[in-house]
Amino acid sequence: MVEQAATRVLTCIQCGKCTGSCPESGKTPFNVRMLVRKKQFQSAIDEALPWYCTSCGACTIRCPRDVKPSEVIIELRAKLVEDGDIPVALQKALENTFVQKNPWGRSRNKRADWAQKLDFEVPHVSETESKRLLFVCCIQAYDPRCMVIPVNVARLFNAGGLEFGILGEEEACCGNEIRRIGEAGLFEELEEENKAAFEEYGVKEIVTLSPHCMNVLKKEYGDMGIKVVHYTELLAPLVEEGAIKLPGSFGKKVIYHDPCFLGKQNGVFDEPRAILGAVPDLELLEFSRSREMSLCCEGGGGRMFFEVEATYQRNADVRVLDAVSRGAEIIATACPFCVMTLEDPATEKGLAVKELSEILTEVL
Amino acid sequence: MSYTLIVAEVRRGVFEERNLDSLGLGALLGAQSVLLVPDGAYQVPDKFVDAIVKVKAAEEVYLNPMNMGRMLEAAFAAKGKPDNILFTQSSSGMEAAAYAAGLFGMPVITDVSGYDRDAGIFLKSYYSDKVFGQFKTAGVPAILTVRSGSFREFAAEKTAAAAAETIDAAAVETRTFVEYVEEEKTDIDITKAEFLLSVGRGVGNQGEVSGYEELAGILKAVLSGSRPVIDKMWLPKARQVGTSGKTVKPKVYLAMGISGAFQHIAGMKDSDCIIAVNKDPEAPIFQYAHYGIVGDIHKVRDKLKELAKG
Amino acid sequence: MNILVFTKRVAATQEEELRITGEGQAVDLSKVPFKVNDWDNYSVEEAVRIVDKAGGSVTAISIGDAESDEVLRRAIAMGAKDGFLVETGDVLNDPFARGELIRSFIDKEKIPFDIILTGVQSEDDQFGAVGGIAAALMGLPYASMVIGIDAVEADHVVIRRELEGGLQEKVKVTVPCVLSIQSGINEPRYVSIMGIRKASKVERKVFKADGYEKGSPKIELTKWVYPEKKGGATMLDGELADVCGQLLGILKEKGVCQ
Repeated sequence: MVEQAATRVLTCIQCGKCTGSCPESGKTPFNVRMLVRKKQFQSAIDEALPWYCTSCGACTIRCPRDVKPSEVIIELRAKLVEDGDIPVALQKALENTFVQKNPWGRSRNKRADWAQKLDFEVPHVSETESKRLLFVCCIQAYDPRCMVIPVNVARLFNAGGLEFGILGEEEACCGNEIRRIGEAGLFEELEEENKAAFEEYGVKEIVTLSPHCMNVLKKEYGDMGIKVVHYTELLAPLVEEGAIKLPGSFGKKVIYHDPCFLGKQNGVFDEPRAILGAVPDLELLEFSRSREMSLCCEGGGGRMFFEVEATYQRNADVRVLDAVSRGAEIIATACPFCVMTLEDPATEKGLAVKELSEILTEVL
Repeated sequence: MSYTLIVAEVRRGVFEERNLDSLGLGALLGAQSVLLVPDGAYQVPDKFVDAIVKVKAAEEVYLNPMNMGRMLEAAFAAKGKPDNILFTQSSSGMEAAAYAAGLFGMPVITDVSGYDRDAGIFLKSYYSDKVFGQFKTAGVPAILTVRSGSFREFAAEKTAAAAAETIDAAAVETRTFVEYVEEEKTDIDITKAEFLLSVGRGVGNQGEVSGYEELAGILKAVLSGSRPVIDKMWLPKARQVGTSGKTVKPKVYLAMGISGAFQHIAGMKDSDCIIAVNKDPEAPIFQYAHYGIVGDIHKVRDKLKELAKG
Repeated sequence: MNILVFTKRVAATQEEELRITGEGQAVDLSKVPFKVNDWDNYSVEEAVRIVDKAGGSVTAISIGDAESDEVLRRAIAMGAKDGFLVETGDVLNDPFARGELIRSFIDKEKIPFDIILTGVQSEDDQFGAVGGIAAALMGLPYASMVIGIDAVEADHVVIRRELEGGLQEKVKVTVPCVLSIQSGINEPRYVSIMGIRKASKVERKVFKADGYEKGSPKIELTKWVYPEKKGGATMLDGELADVCGQLLGILKEKGVCQ
């Protein structure tokens, strides 16, 4: 359960650190300090504004008074959700999640279809010794671009002798984006449904593919007594210690983009780099803004599901230009949303975007 | 007399082409065909019917379902009760058929797209053509609305010329026609385009639409869409292809992410060349397309952009 | 204005491959989720908008099994005052049975109304006939494919009907009347789960459908069948670049692209 009214708008001293760290500041009409101010005075806001937030979390991390501005945004959104007055595309994503348990509205019965691409069976988690659950979640289960991620990770786990199982059709959307869109009621339903499944099958460890799922399962599902990790955390030692052999060669200049929900919000910086470092012949580069300072790709906070009104240079474009200036050939990342937002502008500039598991699979 | 009463759909002086499907089903039903039509200067294909009953009423009065009851009663008085009454599956046909069914306590099956004469079974779509129900009617006359494009090839020429008679029908006051409203004119008329790139639900989200606009620009195609895309306001209403939008017949109709609901198919099936791209190999649109690609429409879009620019 | 609006819970089959069981006895919906009929969502929204302007109240009515309570709660969350469930476990494949049930329910329970709204059709059976049948049985004027309501007066409404080819027809209908609402007439509001939970506190009355006339069935669904496979398309196969190259080739051949 997420605590209600966890924000502390009244303690805000309007120092502006939030706006200073915000990836939407300046280029869009979004000003998080101003919105916190208006919340303090309970004055009316332009209803288009809260939807710019990408939930990157930078403001909350930097705030000296623990105001949690990113949570203030969720509260503002929650009010709009309650009033029913939200962008149509987001409405569709929420309604789809209500019916099919994924924002794209794809059939829940097809949630485990990705596993058909494997040449081995993935067991239901209840049939495993370890009770280690691979939490696949929506974009990896349905999006044709991202369906390779669970396939790759399953192969890597198999190669490393790591036992795991899945929930298949019983898995529901993790709810990370749903909560951030402000649909607290729907989030609670998803949380309850997933928790009930974890409990029923005695899940002991959850491995997520998306950092967004890891974030919510780890920090917002309350204390489940279950260890939650991102798959890179599990793979890094296996790759480093040689339990997973990487006989191939990857002679490319690869720049690593820290996803907000993996890096700045959950402190996983080193494992993805350790994995890339273990890939033979790979030259690892860094963005001018990396690790805690990594620039958000703008795929979070519901922004995957709709287009904001303003036209401006997207952060993904900025990011790709930086990668080009650093001499990178490939942008690697460990989040499906980052893959989706970066890929278009990268392709335009002749760069490829690869999710970490894709590089590993190429040298496996 | 055993006969089928065919209620013609007319609109703004035009005898609608989809009436031919009613004439076709009429021929399959086997009884004589009697056409009900308002008295006016319509191009009636009279060689396909045995008799014509003309209603002395203005077109708007004739199309009003409240008046339809009285016109049917007048027709019954002149010709006796028919075995079946056929309407077109259209905005006005559906409306009048349902009302008449209630009024006369007659069985009704809408959107009939098949008929098995031996078994006396009518085929009706369920779940957007994913499955069909076989129906029997208990008692006659039955009211049917006929799916456009389903039966027109069965329309058969009669040997004798159709006899015509005229009946009167008074108009009701509870529903009255005010005026026609043309949808706002926009810069582009999709019905005049030679090459339409049409996008559907598979586009996924609004953010993807601009990529298809770009592709249309590169290919010199006009962008259109199916109902879900228009309902979400991702494209203006004037760009809608389908029964509630425009009927188009371009040289090439490239459908991306359109599964092919009947309402959409009806609006584009007469295109010279239909190319469909869809992730679902079972999508109904492949049944109507000349060429098909099973795959991720966004990938196809991006590759086409790349190759066409190249 | 007192408005009765009919809302139906339907199988969400858009993304599903449907399976017919046995020798065509039934369509297997056991693994299919359910949702509110799209057209009814627009109808409820339109009903709420009418009373927001003209005053009065909206009552949502659903014919279906106990689970249909879900769409009533949804309608209440959207702004309906209350909800009635006419409970029946039977699937009413005959729109006449549905129309007759509506007439006899409203009649017997003496439910006051000025306007009855239905969706043009439901996503499952797509008959698009219930509103018209009910109107005729009740002796009320009717209009379907309503894509705009321009004026609501005490004794009449002025509406626009959607015709084919982007044309609309403006029509005046006297009140009381039955109107069937076309999708796209408005932008239905989002209904939050919290909103539905709050709506659960509003009482929904349950009436057993057995207590009303349904009339004898006029049509009978004898068998379910899959659609006939038509000729089908020539499928372009191969690598993405190859397939796209073939496609561009076809465009050139047809003379629409250089």
